[in-house]
Amino acid sequence: MARVLVVDDAAFMRKMLTDTLTSGGHEVVGEAGNGVEAIQRFQELRPELTTLDITMPEKDGLEALREIMAIDPNAKVVMCSALGQEAKVLESIKLGAKDFVVKPFQAERVLDAVGKALGEA
Amino acid sequence: MTATRDALMRLGASTAEAIAKTLDTLCPGQVERGDVSVVNPDTSPFGTIETPAIAVSVNYVDGVTGGNVFVMTATGARRLAATMMGQPFPEDDVDELTVLELSAVAEAANQMMAAAAAAIGVVLGQEVEIAPPETRIFHSPSEAIDAYEPAPHGVRATFRVCDEPCRLVQLVPNAFIVRMTRALDEMGVETLTGHVSQVNGDGMEPGHEHVSLDDALRDIRVRVWAELGRTRVPIGQAPAMPPGTVLELDRKADDPVDLYVNGLRFASGTLVLTEDGEWALRLAEVAGHDGAAQPDTPRDAEGAVS
Repeated sequence: MARVLVVDDAAFMRKMLTDTLTSGGHEVVGEAGNGVEAIQRFQELRPELTTLDITMPEKDGLEALREIMAIDPNAKVVMCSALGQEAKVLESIKLGAKDFVVKPFQAERVLDAVGKALGEA
Repeated sequence: MTATRDALMRLGASTAEAIAKTLDTLCPGQVERGDVSVVNPDTSPFGTIETPAIAVSVNYVDGVTGGNVFVMTATGARRLAATMMGQPFPEDDVDELTVLELSAVAEAANQMMAAAAAAIGVVLGQEVEIAPPETRIFHSPSEAIDAYEPAPHGVRATFRVCDEPCRLVQLVPNAFIVRMTRALDEMGVETLTGHVSQVNGDGMEPGHEHVSLDDALRDIRVRVWAELGRTRVPIGQAPAMPPGTVLELDRKADDPVDLYVNGLRFASGTLVLTEDGEWALRLAEVAGHDGAAQPDTPRDAEGAVS
């Protein structure tokens, strides 16, 4: 069970992810609505795991991932992607993301990806 | 039908189908496909919307230019949001949406347009990127007409979602049409032959050409491929595989080969050689007619290598 930072520009998705992660026994310690906030919250909270949306205003998920990995090369990040973003997903894995889920996603898939990412420690 | 209209109808049809599929996932059993129409440049595609309406616009940012606006009634938007949150339809008659409801509808539009962009990307042969959604509330059609920059071309697809009308309007610049027409030419696509007519009734704006979604889809050329086999590797390993890597697949050399049509496993058969020395597939079993075709996306999304 982990302390998780949830990053998505849609309040609805943050709620869905928070509900899913909480139901899976995790603690959502913070939320962010864009890449800039994500980096601030990551530095403040130092979560054990971060879920990161790819398409966001201000700074997108890939840029945020790059900066998060620079802050902590051991950061565990799971990307949230929409259909058709295969190239960005692959890029994020190269940058160090542990796994990804594709929207619209099932709760089990989210928990599975989070569990696997945490299990790599 | 001119090449421009042909490109617009194909754009509308493939986008409408991608969107309908996403809606089917978000609110199963609550989606009815309508028709696809080319918008007359002199007529606003927003002229007949029912208000109050929620409109979510999603623009392309890379690959192509142009915009997309998904419009639904406030009642429909609330029902869609409730369904996405696993709740029953709201029974009160409130036109205002909560922040969470608006966010759910915007997210739905975002996922729909991502699917549509992926479909367009298949035609254009490159990844098409979208921007985050922008949501607006309109209390009259004139507000909507004034809200979006007119485009030289437009295409409109209608649906009913949660028993309420909604539509997707695609605002299409000339450059997009040029790209699309060129891509269709390169694919050797034949002219769309569906029934086309000027429509003045049935709630449609006069001056639009429209065909049913079924007709619009019937002549679209789809990508067909044969699959020899699969395996799975950790995704972290995939980008690092050097040339010369040998991946063992899950099929024996004489096992049937699967035939895929736009991502659906549609048939299986055996590989044969033509007289010209090209590979061909002799079909032994066809799964499509009884609805047994299986979508492939989830396996691909989890990193299958084929």
